[in-house]
Amino acid sequence: MSATIALLGQPNSGKSTLFNALTGLRQHVGNWPGKTVEKKEGTFTYKGDTYSVADLPGSYSMSANSDEEVITRDYAGLEAPCFLVLNMEDVAKEQGKTIDAAAIEKKLGIPVMLFSATDMKAYDKFYSTLERALKSKSHLDVSSLEKEYEKLGGYAEIKEQLADNAPSGYTPMWLTVKVLENDKVVSAKLKNTLDDKTIKKIETLAKGGADAVAAGECKFAWIDEILQGAVSGSKSVTKLGRLDRIYTHRIWGKPAVVLTVLLGLIASFIPALPIMGVGSLVDMLKTAVATGLEGAGCPALVTGLLCDVGIQSLSFVIKMLGFVFGVTLVFGLLEEVGVMARISYVFDNTMGKLGLQGKSVMPFLVSFGCTMGGAAGARVIDNWGQKVLTIALAWAVPCGAAWAIIPMLSTVFFGAAAPLIIVVLLLVMLLHMWITAKVFGAKLVKTEDRCGMIMELPPYHKPKWGALFRYVLGRTKDTFFRVVKVVLLVCAVFWLLSYGGGSDESSLLYKIGTAIEPVTMFVGLPWQLFIAFIASSVGKEGAVGVITALYSGTSYAQGFAEAMSGAARAANLNELLLANVTRPEALAFIFAITFNLPCVVALAATYQEIHSVKWTAKIALYYTATALLLSCIAYHIGQLIW
Amino acid sequence: MKRLLELLKDGNSRTIEQLAAELGTTPADIDRQLGFLEHIGAIRRVSFSAQKTCGGSCKGCNPAECRGCMPKNAAQNMGEMWEVIKQH
Repeated sequence: MSATIALLGQPNSGKSTLFNALTGLRQHVGNWPGKTVEKKEGTFTYKGDTYSVADLPGSYSMSANSDEEVITRDYAGLEAPCFLVLNMEDVAKEQGKTIDAAAIEKKLGIPVMLFSATDMKAYDKFYSTLERALKSKSHLDVSSLEKEYEKLGGYAEIKEQLADNAPSGYTPMWLTVKVLENDKVVSAKLKNTLDDKTIKKIETLAKGGADAVAAGECKFAWIDEILQGAVSGSKSVTKLGRLDRIYTHRIWGKPAVVLTVLLGLIASFIPALPIMGVGSLVDMLKTAVATGLEGAGCPALVTGLLCDVGIQSLSFVIKMLGFVFGVTLVFGLLEEVGVMARISYVFDNTMGKLGLQGKSVMPFLVSFGCTMGGAAGARVIDNWGQKVLTIALAWAVPCGAAWAIIPMLSTVFFGAAAPLIIVVLLLVMLLHMWITAKVFGAKLVKTEDRCGMIMELPPYHKPKWGALFRYVLGRTKDTFFRVVKVVLLVCAVFWLLSYGGGSDESSLLYKIGTAIEPVTMFVGLPWQLFIAFIASSVGKEGAVGVITALYSGTSYAQGFAEAMSGAARAANLNELLLANVTRPEALAFIFAITFNLPCVVALAATYQEIHSVKWTAKIALYYTATALLLSCIAYHIGQLIW
Repeated sequence: MKRLLELLKDGNSRTIEQLAAELGTTPADIDRQLGFLEHIGAIRRVSFSAQKTCGGSCKGCNPAECRGCMPKNAAQNMGEMWEVIKQH
């Protein structure tokens, strides 16, 4: 007795293990004719007879979705005897399942055996089943499957058309199901075989008939019917771990996630501090370099550009990178251990109300620390419109720099009422996000774009520190090179605008400021505060330094340099502000800088992520306009109160 | 499977266990259904990992195809996610 055995099965069902065990070294690998798909064939000898074995590519449902499946399908199309090997018997035992192979055999009409391809002692069973199949010339009994298919709309009619015309090697039943599944290869084959009239009829019937999902349901119903009474055992009930019980809790899930993220943000300051220290060291070079350049007779403009723009910008970028490093490390760690997937899951439905996916919550949360990190975090969103909207909303979240200034200004002007101002700002933030979602959402996301997702939460595991640090350092390096260009350019522009060659009144910034004050006062901002507002577009921390400089009468260029270096808060700032700024103006200013565009780095990061100058500019203009509108409203409400 | 797809039309996300509970079946059955639906192109696996074309750097990417992708080695443990493919 001799035969050629084709091993058919789904991917990863153990065919190759079986093939290797059967053939050992007697195998050869090549390509299927005309395809780049690997062809594995071999031989083995049993009781003096030589058998050939072909390890066919894994196929899920004999549909032609790839070259591999077409090969498998064409090979399997031969009407040869067959038997069923239920592999991984050991796994079933571990799961507490008992399988009655005889019961399945009775229903299928072919030999069925339970087996573990990795157990070399079990192969006698394989050989005897093979002999049995060859002797009995067993063929699969598909009558009960066909009964299921007969329930499908269009099945009987299409099968009737194919009854006498089916291409050789294929049964009308199989062809009919493939037609209903809209199988392209089968359709092409039929077009080559059948006349136009029949094809048109079949196409019309298929259009009005059942679809691939319905055909799949028939197959599953058949499988379930075969397994009915043949498989028993404990059904595995997935037990949630303690952490998952908290994170996926209907009430406590969201607070637990928010707390985790807040703790993560606080923790991200720890790795950020040393890098911020490096930024300060770079800043200290400025004075030494400036003195050296002046000593060498370098013109003041050049010295200013090199030191106040070049070195200052570098120092600023390094300080920002400290936070990028910290946030990426902490949130990379959360993702690595499996917490991030839970965060995304818990907030999915809230995001849905804004037209976004659950994945969007991460950029928002990260934006509490740094908007740039938030923009970069939007990369997990596949849909471009949703990505743009996510970043647009993330801009409304006050960043770490804003949280450094707002409490200080609120305390100076409003004393014990400062916490109330903070609460109002947070409420306005939520309102802002809701309105922004409505304004941009209509163009960026469609309701039908949002679809339900299925999530399989990953198991918690220990982090791989090496890979994590490689990732974090790579991200920090990329960020550095990306932002340094933008920051240098913007700083140079602001610096030149504020450069007066020794006289404040001759600087362009002063001239522009006094010229526009009648307009800026409508939104509650005297020209000095308005310039500070503009400076806050570069970096929020810049605003306080600019106010200090402008109200104390030092040169604007120096004020801007102070702003950029973060050495913002002059000792007498409280007195200066209280003497020169009214409470309504202060309230207007707080709203203006809180909701102004976050900083140029965030602007650059936004462009980097969405690759659209138009939308980056649109969002930036929207935020500038909204900040001024909120400033105007706050100012006029303030005037009513004070 | 039609019921599964119908359920997901509400736009909410569900875990495999939730789906099993809502459809009155087992997680293993949901796994089987997901495998089939993915195979016929009714749902697709969401990729959080870097796209192979640029490895996350976006250098030389066609902006029409790669509008910013995940950084290299990012999001390796976000679990498995599938989303429904809209039929046009």
